[in-house]
Amino acid sequence: MKKTYIFFLLVAALVMLSAAASVQAQDVDNFKYPKMNKLEIPDVDKITLDNGIRVYLLEDKSLPVFRASVRMNAGSFLESADKVGLASICGTVMRTGGTNKWSGDEIDEKLEAIGGSVETFIGLESGGASVNVLSEYTDLGMEVLAEVLRNPKFEEDKIDLAKVQIRSGISRRNDDPQGIAFREFRKVIYGADSPYARQTEYATVNSVTRDDIVGFHAKWYKPQNMQIAIWGDFNKKDILEKLNKYFGDWKQEGELVPSLPQVDYKFENKVHYIKKNDVNQTNIVIGHIGGYVTDEDYGDLIVMNNILGGSFGSRLFNAVRSREGLAYAVFGSYTAKIKYPGIFVGFVSTKSETTVKAVKEMIKEMKRIQTDPPTVDEMKMGQDGYLNSFVFNFDSKSEVVNRMMNYEFYGLSANHLFKVKEDVENVTPESVIKAANENLRFDALHIVIVGKGDDFESPLNEMGLGDVVEVDITIPSGEEETELAVTPETLKKGKALLDKAVTYAGGLDALKAIKSMNSKGTMTIVTPRGDMPLQIESVFELPNKEKTVATIMGQKMYSIFDGTTGWQPGGAGVEQMSEEDVIKKNKDNGRKTILIFQKSDAPYYKAVSDGSGEIDGTSFEYVTLIDDAGETICRLGVASDGLLVCKEY
Amino acid sequence: MSFKKVQLTLLSVLLVLFLVPTVFSFDFSKLENAVTEHRLENGLTILILERHDAPVVSFVTWANVGSVDDSKGYTGMAHMFEHMAFKGSKTLGTKDINKELELIAKEDAIFMQLRAARNKGRFADSAKIEELTVAYEAAREASYELVIPNRFGNVIEREGAVGLNAFTSSDETVYFFSLPSNKVELWMALESERFLNPVLREMYKERDVVAEERRMRSESSPIGKLIEEFLGSAFKAHPYGVPGIGHMSDIQYYSRKEAKAFFQKYYGPSNLTVAIVGDVITEDVIKLAEDYWGRIPYRTAPERIATTEPEQSGERRVEVEHQSQPFFIAGWHVPEGTHPDRPALDALCDFLGQGRTSLLYKNLVKEKKIAMDVGAFAGFPGNKYPTLMAIYAMSSAGHGNDEMEEELFKEVERMRDELIPIEEVDKIKARAKADFINRLNTNHGLGMQLAGYQNLWGDWRELFRELDRINAVTPEDIQRVAKKYLTKKNRVVGMVVTTEE
Repeated sequence: MKKTYIFFLLVAALVMLSAAASVQAQDVDNFKYPKMNKLEIPDVDKITLDNGIRVYLLEDKSLPVFRASVRMNAGSFLESADKVGLASICGTVMRTGGTNKWSGDEIDEKLEAIGGSVETFIGLESGGASVNVLSEYTDLGMEVLAEVLRNPKFEEDKIDLAKVQIRSGISRRNDDPQGIAFREFRKVIYGADSPYARQTEYATVNSVTRDDIVGFHAKWYKPQNMQIAIWGDFNKKDILEKLNKYFGDWKQEGELVPSLPQVDYKFENKVHYIKKNDVNQTNIVIGHIGGYVTDEDYGDLIVMNNILGGSFGSRLFNAVRSREGLAYAVFGSYTAKIKYPGIFVGFVSTKSETTVKAVKEMIKEMKRIQTDPPTVDEMKMGQDGYLNSFVFNFDSKSEVVNRMMNYEFYGLSANHLFKVKEDVENVTPESVIKAANENLRFDALHIVIVGKGDDFESPLNEMGLGDVVEVDITIPSGEEETELAVTPETLKKGKALLDKAVTYAGGLDALKAIKSMNSKGTMTIVTPRGDMPLQIESVFELPNKEKTVATIMGQKMYSIFDGTTGWQPGGAGVEQMSEEDVIKKNKDNGRKTILIFQKSDAPYYKAVSDGSGEIDGTSFEYVTLIDDAGETICRLGVASDGLLVCKEY
Repeated sequence: MSFKKVQLTLLSVLLVLFLVPTVFSFDFSKLENAVTEHRLENGLTILILERHDAPVVSFVTWANVGSVDDSKGYTGMAHMFEHMAFKGSKTLGTKDINKELELIAKEDAIFMQLRAARNKGRFADSAKIEELTVAYEAAREASYELVIPNRFGNVIEREGAVGLNAFTSSDETVYFFSLPSNKVELWMALESERFLNPVLREMYKERDVVAEERRMRSESSPIGKLIEEFLGSAFKAHPYGVPGIGHMSDIQYYSRKEAKAFFQKYYGPSNLTVAIVGDVITEDVIKLAEDYWGRIPYRTAPERIATTEPEQSGERRVEVEHQSQPFFIAGWHVPEGTHPDRPALDALCDFLGQGRTSLLYKNLVKEKKIAMDVGAFAGFPGNKYPTLMAIYAMSSAGHGNDEMEEELFKEVERMRDELIPIEEVDKIKARAKADFINRLNTNHGLGMQLAGYQNLWGDWRELFRELDRINAVTPEDIQRVAKKYLTKKNRVVGMVVTTEE
């Protein structure tokens, strides 16, 4: 009896509690939270080995795993512009291409037998490596790491594999419209030839040799350039012994690593359109250059970013996605970097038919950050959000120990993060507006648009947002020569070369007097039934009429071209030349030396000097000829006396 | 006789001694014993794991409903509702709930008229449609006037949430974020509120957002397109064959009424599991859960689909033409995730197509260099129902689907013809163990694992049996499942074929 009574009381209490709870839920603004449990920031042990390797240690016994990450002060910015891809290949093959002790395949077997991994790579600013093994295999993990960093063998076959992978990546780079948009935007901001945006091409990958790779590694992979962060289940004494065992005898030497080059940026209004006809959604990137994390108003910009376009409830999300329903993916942010400037970027993808509307809506909403001060709610989201989530900077050992390594790599002070926090605490709506006005320039935006232009609701050049240039993203085949430099000097030198060749051939007047040419010759066709002689006789009437008679086994075959079409009378009737072949024939005829020489004084004719070469001991200089339509006719090799040595096309 | 026996025992002792340190050196039972399972009266399952390393906590709400539960004509509804679950409640996200509900009702009424008019198809009256469209758009804007947009996410993020998001798969819909651990009550209040009193505000605007998501994931992506076609031809009867994001015309068709009905049917508390992992006190969590989640009334469990996919009567092939590089995928029908054959199939996939030492990688990537990437995995697109095991390959520059197909199937044949050496099976087990440990690394990861196993197996403890199942697999098992499932007749093949324009 008594028991039941207590039970009822409990139920009554529960019901009341529920009622109280539902009242509370309505008032999330006035929730009172208990004090947060103390955040214990673990201490990282920092040790520098005798040879300069900087080690950062943090134990974590919660799981039986051993992890390490390496930073090597050696980035792809150190490779030369004609070998883009070298650093990346080096970073891959360091691990896949074996070492003095093991082949690459053996390392694969060893690691996969224990479910572990050791990986290496080289990025823009630095190289890196990672180790992830169960702690019982710590020694193997460390030995493989040391082997691949110190003694890579760069097996040829694995270099080939890395090159195949990179070439395959190139062949696929236009399959992803969002990837295209960001890639092209980076080129616009940092410069297409800068190490920040330059692309790996078939030609640059093909030119990378094993010597280049060995040289790159030998030059930059040095102990004084190396940092290693280690965390997980280990003990300090043990791990230092292992570090000394595997890395201790590595000698410091070599040159200082240069710093990253300056970015040469020009503010301007420009629309860069990239045609992609196999999509029904347009990818749009809008912005300009950004700043540095050490900028004074970095704290203001963090809050501004959160309000502008970081998350649920940011202005861009609210306006472009929720209110207008224009997009699923939308964001905007002024990013800051450490060694080179970041980018200010707005991104949206929208159906082809609302492309222009989305561009305008994005700019309108982004601009508002300069004029409409953040509301109380927005400040809460932008500022409190950052401060309240600050604790997540310390929720894993990996973050803490890697942050310390990274800060030292970049030369930031150890308390940098706390300084940023302090800055964020001091942000006001006014300081956000001020930072937005000082850093964002809506009078000078680059806009990259990837999509099916035919389906856009209106032409891009009517947006009033700058000139529209169409960007060709066709992937260069890699077989082309480097671009011809047409300058007054090369033109002058080229003309002189051409004139020399004309003079050697008899002089312009004599050549111009020629009306027709005859040629006669014998060819031998090799067939399974024996050699067959073939006589060819042809009459060429300048500039474009030609008759050829070929005699084979007493049988005559005619081929006639009258300048507009051609035909071959044969046993089974007349075979008519296709239109395509007519065009080709005219092009071929245009390359006839006699015609080139006859036209050598024409004003529209461009002769550009273009390097030198050598055939059978005769050295010569190249001259490339370009016709009035800007098309390359051919490339002539002219010896020092004026003799025409070769013709390429 | 007795001598022999002793020898055997000694041998097995040695074996055990040898095996124990390598396979079970870490005591998972500690972790398992630290998990508390609690069920509220209304049927909600709560899984709690205390981890006090840092003052943070991760939350996972796992709804046992996925796109398989979408009905014909309303494909994509499970995913659509996931979007709507971020729109707030009667108390959150509105300037004036009563007025807003009135305007929402008007908006609904006009949309239903417009839908009916459009639905006349070839007999439709275009003038009427136009007139209704204008009215509908006006009603949509009118109700939006009273919305405080994205208030739900806004409040959570300003309080320091990280990783706020959700996903919908064929099998489930999962919502998650992490908070500083002193704010457990905020999660309790808001998360229970959105499944107690959701207001499906901005529904018709959000459909446009979902349409853009569809264009991004599927229509403008060659592989996305292929996956739709591929699953569509693999599953003719079972809804695994229907795109989870929905057909474009369905996305533009459904109304708030159907979304509400969907919520009513599938979001009862007994169909939800929440997992809470981090710096919390279990009793406090249970107490708060009873207060907040206890408000949701019990609802009967939804009926599950009974449709089963009939056996295939021959290979099926499908192509997608696109101006992009080739991509190849093949799948075989295999049983659901809890079937006894699945550990052997998972082991088979590992050996066949996971990592640099797998058969596919060694042959197609390392040696022949005709593919830049290959893979094999089981459980596509889900695991609750009979599903697919799949392999895929991305061609290297200058290579195509035909040569990849030939080599891929050659390796698959080997799985049928050859018995994997026992050492290789040991390696598979070592990898499974390392992978298992790595999955337990974060609060969020643990929460996902616990809630996921609770839903697939009906018991989160099955997570800790995972390694036992893999460790029991023999080379013969692997060959047996290869022979049983990896047949040409049981196979579906899909590829992206390159076109010029």
